[in-house]
Amino acid sequence: MDNLVTANLKQRPIRTIISVIGVALGVVLVVLMVGLSHGVLQEQGRRNSNVGAELLFTRPNNYGPGTSSVLSLPVQYAPKIAEINGVQAVSPVGQYLKPSNQSFGMEMVEGIDIDTYQKVTNLSIDQGKTLSEDNEVIVDPIYAKDKKVKIGDSIDLFGHKFYVSGIYQPEIGARIKIKLSMMQNLLGSKDRCSFVFVKCQTTSNQEQVATNILSTLPGNKVLFTREIQSLYEKGLPAVNTFVKAVVVVSIIISILVIMLAMYTTITERTREIGVLKSLGASKSFIIFEIEKEALLISVLGTLLGYLVAITGRWLIIKNTSLIIDLELKWLLYAALVGILSGLIGALYPALKVANQDPVKALSYE
Amino acid sequence: MKTILQTVDLKMIYQIGKVAVNALRGVNLTVNQAEFVAIMGPSGCGKSTMLHILGGMLKPSSGSVLIDGQDLSKMSDGSRTELRRQKIGFVFQKFNLFPTLTAEGNIRLAERIRLNGNHKNDSERRREILRLLNLEGRLNHKPLELSGGEQQRVAIARALVGSPAIVLADEPTGNLDSENSQIVLKMLQELNGKFGQTIVMITHSPEAASIAQRVVHMRDGQIVNK
Repeated sequence: MDNLVTANLKQRPIRTIISVIGVALGVVLVVLMVGLSHGVLQEQGRRNSNVGAELLFTRPNNYGPGTSSVLSLPVQYAPKIAEINGVQAVSPVGQYLKPSNQSFGMEMVEGIDIDTYQKVTNLSIDQGKTLSEDNEVIVDPIYAKDKKVKIGDSIDLFGHKFYVSGIYQPEIGARIKIKLSMMQNLLGSKDRCSFVFVKCQTTSNQEQVATNILSTLPGNKVLFTREIQSLYEKGLPAVNTFVKAVVVVSIIISILVIMLAMYTTITERTREIGVLKSLGASKSFIIFEIEKEALLISVLGTLLGYLVAITGRWLIIKNTSLIIDLELKWLLYAALVGILSGLIGALYPALKVANQDPVKALSYE
Repeated sequence: MKTILQTVDLKMIYQIGKVAVNALRGVNLTVNQAEFVAIMGPSGCGKSTMLHILGGMLKPSSGSVLIDGQDLSKMSDGSRTELRRQKIGFVFQKFNLFPTLTAEGNIRLAERIRLNGNHKNDSERRREILRLLNLEGRLNHKPLELSGGEQQRVAIARALVGSPAIVLADEPTGNLDSENSQIVLKMLQELNGKFGQTIVMITHSPEAASIAQRVVHMRDGQIVNK
């Protein structure tokens, strides 16, 4: 073994492995957490934009990723909107984001009025029967498969037991739907909803219908459902902040791991650094040698991180209904996080050792 | 004969707390090219301090050190490192080989540092040195797989990489048994005789000093005779 860098890494395999895992952890955090947050958002956007209704009527700042789960829109708006020129049908919907019962994360529950909902969307009951009782719930096939529920099974929602009455198609809105009146009762929001879906008489006049609604009911907001997905794809301040926090935590983890590993390694090899100096090694040579070690650890850590992240993504997708996007941009960012953090983490130990007194270093025991 | 090393009124004062310790008290030494000089003296007389100053690893408090005409005492740390890279080879008592590298790896590392990216190393000279040091069959072994004598021979080969003007040897036989000491001393002598290598060697051993062309004695930070 003639290469000082690889020889040093092989000399202390456990430390090298721990350092590589430390960098990998940062990479996995970035790839999985960013992929998960973006994937879930985009999936939610796709599901909400596929409803069939052209317009969504709500309060300003009351719809989109990250908005409050409180039902704040009076359902009395629905009949008023139905009377507006160009509107074919309307359906008030309540959406509530709650902690998942059986797995980590959150899950969305929708309160719907099934009769009007089916008029504005293309929802149909694939198995079982429609929602008729207060304690009934309908779910989509993905939810039924993931949670292993079938017709007649019970689901706990808001501290109450609900029974699966049917499985609906296609995948639109929340995966779990209960009666809107039941949701209002359970949340203490009588006669309130989150938004109203609006089906236009013709899709080509949706802009005009939107204008008509806003002129009739000013101070509110009308969204085109075709734009909902892009609204979600743009993310939201809370998720963007979360992503930044994940990246910062990853950078800090990688920097600390490499700094600690390099600091202990140079302390252990103080005498060798003295020998390098006696051979005439310049400060830049010594810094470069330490940085090369850190770079090698970082590259190995990044590759391991990719491997773990890709395997983790496969396992999560296989075993849950969560969507994780693997975006090339974020894979590159993760590599940058791993490699740059490693280089930065090694810099302080490298500078410290490069400035060490060679005589003192040579006498180090 | 060309003067390769000269010290003029070389002084070194260490400040230890409030106490000033005079390690060197005006050392004047001249070494000619291809000369083999042994420096002897009791522990604490300033031998090692002088060797470190001659090798550019310490800056003297006053006086000058001329290596091949260049004054080390006026140089920055970076320039002294550069001069050490080009003109000085060190041999240590404890060998100081890199334990993770093979014998060849240790020598190649020195080549990488000394030649600084310049690959025009003298492979014929390298082969001859390895032959002289009887290391050709031991190059793929790591230091722990070598005897003390072999390790010191690798360290000598490493010190000779890049044809330094001076080899500074700090008690090169201090960690060796008498048999290996004899082998190493003989090899240093051959290097001096065959390649005209200038060697300055610190030693406690009169037997080791006896192979040098000249012996310098130090006491209390001064040269007491030449």
